[in-house]
Amino acid sequence: MNDIRILLTGNPNVGKTTLFNALCGVHQHTGNYPGVTVDIKEGKRHIGGQSLIVCDLPGTYSLSVFTPDEQVARDALLTSNPDIVLQIVDATNIERNLFLTTQLLELGIPMIIALNMCDLADEQGIKIDSECLARNLNVTVVRIVARSEEGVGELVDSIVKLIEEKKPVSHREVLYPGSVTSHINEIGNYLGSHAKLPGNLSSNCAAIRLMEGDEHLEKTLHDQGLVIPFLDKCDPAERDSIAEDVLLARYRTAEEIMACSVKCTMGRVMPADLIDQVITHRYFGIPIFLSCMWFAFQLTFSAAAPFAAAIEIIFGYFNEIITGMDMDPFIRSFLIEGIIGGVGSVLSFVPSIFIVFLLLSILEDTGYLARAAFVMDRLMHSMGLHGRSFIPFLMGFGCNVPAIMATRTLQSRADRIITILTLPFMSCSARLPVYVLFTGVFFSAIAGSVIFFLYVLGIVVAIVTALIFRRYVFKGEPSPFIMELPPYRRPSGTAAGIHMWYKGREYLKRAGLVIFGGVLVVWALASFPVGVEYGSAESLAGSLGQLLQPLFAPLGFNWQLVVALIFGFVAKEVVVGSLGTLYGGEDTLHSSLAADHTLTPAIALAFLVFVLLYLPCVAALGVIRQETGSIKWTVIIVGYGLFVAYVVSFITLHIASFITGV
Amino acid sequence: MVPLSLSSPGEKVVVRSIGGTGHIAKTLGHLGIITGTELRIIRKNKDSLIVRIGESRYALGPGAAGMVLVDLLG
Repeated sequence: MNDIRILLTGNPNVGKTTLFNALCGVHQHTGNYPGVTVDIKEGKRHIGGQSLIVCDLPGTYSLSVFTPDEQVARDALLTSNPDIVLQIVDATNIERNLFLTTQLLELGIPMIIALNMCDLADEQGIKIDSECLARNLNVTVVRIVARSEEGVGELVDSIVKLIEEKKPVSHREVLYPGSVTSHINEIGNYLGSHAKLPGNLSSNCAAIRLMEGDEHLEKTLHDQGLVIPFLDKCDPAERDSIAEDVLLARYRTAEEIMACSVKCTMGRVMPADLIDQVITHRYFGIPIFLSCMWFAFQLTFSAAAPFAAAIEIIFGYFNEIITGMDMDPFIRSFLIEGIIGGVGSVLSFVPSIFIVFLLLSILEDTGYLARAAFVMDRLMHSMGLHGRSFIPFLMGFGCNVPAIMATRTLQSRADRIITILTLPFMSCSARLPVYVLFTGVFFSAIAGSVIFFLYVLGIVVAIVTALIFRRYVFKGEPSPFIMELPPYRRPSGTAAGIHMWYKGREYLKRAGLVIFGGVLVVWALASFPVGVEYGSAESLAGSLGQLLQPLFAPLGFNWQLVVALIFGFVAKEVVVGSLGTLYGGEDTLHSSLAADHTLTPAIALAFLVFVLLYLPCVAALGVIRQETGSIKWTVIIVGYGLFVAYVVSFITLHIASFITGV
Repeated sequence: MVPLSLSSPGEKVVVRSIGGTGHIAKTLGHLGIITGTELRIIRKNKDSLIVRIGESRYALGPGAAGMVLVDLLG
């Protein structure tokens, strides 16, 4: 028996992922699609001797491409030759959904419509005659409630039946105005005899896509050296008006289909309107958002704390066992500092990352996150960022790693890269121990203010960075804010749980390896040549520190500080531990630092500024590489961070020296 | 005809035309904001709006709201 390949598509917020989970349970993994950075989830369902392979495509309103997500959906639909296209349609909002339907019908791929949220539609007095709808479209329509898995069995049966029937596809056709139709035929005939079309795309469908303004298809054809009849002679204004004719024809078709199969009573003020008026209020909106986020933030780090503590205890236990065993000290060091230390660094991030994803998923499901983005848009816009960037920023104060992963909700690549670029300047909680140590030694009277200054400095550098890159690299405005506000819904625990598990596992798989590798490298630097004391002046790290020290001399750093910065690359709190080793014991670190005459308060402050701004830690770097999908941008982010850290530290040193008079 | 950004909360308006072309205009079109669509204004913060079309709600930033030209229905 063959597998049945299904592409699951639909508008955003229609319950696509819920249906996907209902179809495939936890048998999911990320499909590999070359050249794209957005993940496509693939799942399996066994039925009889057959397997349904379901691809969960990113939500899209149409086959035209404006965002990376939509690009993925469009490419999969046009070029991957699925057996079936399964469109999930929101029964409470059928008209808008039908626009995409009219495009999918033309692909000539067997199609099924899953009419979701039929229960809500009933409640709202929307009566849908699904048989009439099916007749009108000449497509199988199955009523489902994805949340309670009602009708999902029937949906699976219909899929299998449709495949077994092997009927030729004869979907309802969109009626275009006469002039449009004749051009479609002209282009279609030409393409049929001249062009090599991607996938199983028919020449007629390709012609319609071109008339509608599919730039990617047009480019593919131009790359083949073809001159598209009629269209290539049109000026941009004519092209736009043709695209509009096609658009209007689609809406007319959608309306006709609606008219005969849907009866609804609407127009009353809905509770959602009232909620919207409160939570997006001009004055209350931002305080409501901030308190929501503060709560989520607190919850993340307090809920993660016991897990992190448990992990620490378990690793301490391993540590003891190995310390107690009789073995070569070098191997022991490798096991304790390298292996256990490495796995420990990976795992210590896990609890907070899982909880962040759980909370984000819940907030997203309720429909609140979209409103929050709207509330923050104006402020963020003035900094050259998109409203949605605010959520990653806030998370960045906890840990940059999940924050960088959260930039996935941004649609334009430019907005995403600028956000990722500025995120490492949000002072994450790992930097706090370093601040506490140095401000305690050098600024005991004003320690609190100095720490506050560092947080503010991070934000200022982030804003300046965003402005610079928006002005000179990604020219133009942040992509205009147009966003659907999904209906308020009760979040589902299972869906959030699956989402959390999936995202957390991805993190472990991709970032885990980088972090682990990074820890091993630092261990090796601190341990070689064989026989030296771990992290001492004679070790490779020590030599490297002394070698690099002249470079940092303008900032006033001694070689110990330089080595600590190298170690800080693993995780910024490691700076404290490694200084402890270098100054002969963490217990006496306070007094040794105070006694070191090469250090002044101004140098200490410059060092803290450097710790704030330089390299993201290895974990953050791992996810930056993963999320930008580009080594070039990863290198730029590292280089830019080092450059900014150096310059700002230098300025800080001189201003602080001037003020303190040393 | 006035830009959507000049209408007030609670008003019902009908779209008369979409000023400009390009991606924003197309995005609006694919969301169902086309000539003839009736919108209700739910909220307005300065030049940003939340509008409702049937059962769908959309948030439009100043750039997008300025492109939609509407007539007041009541």
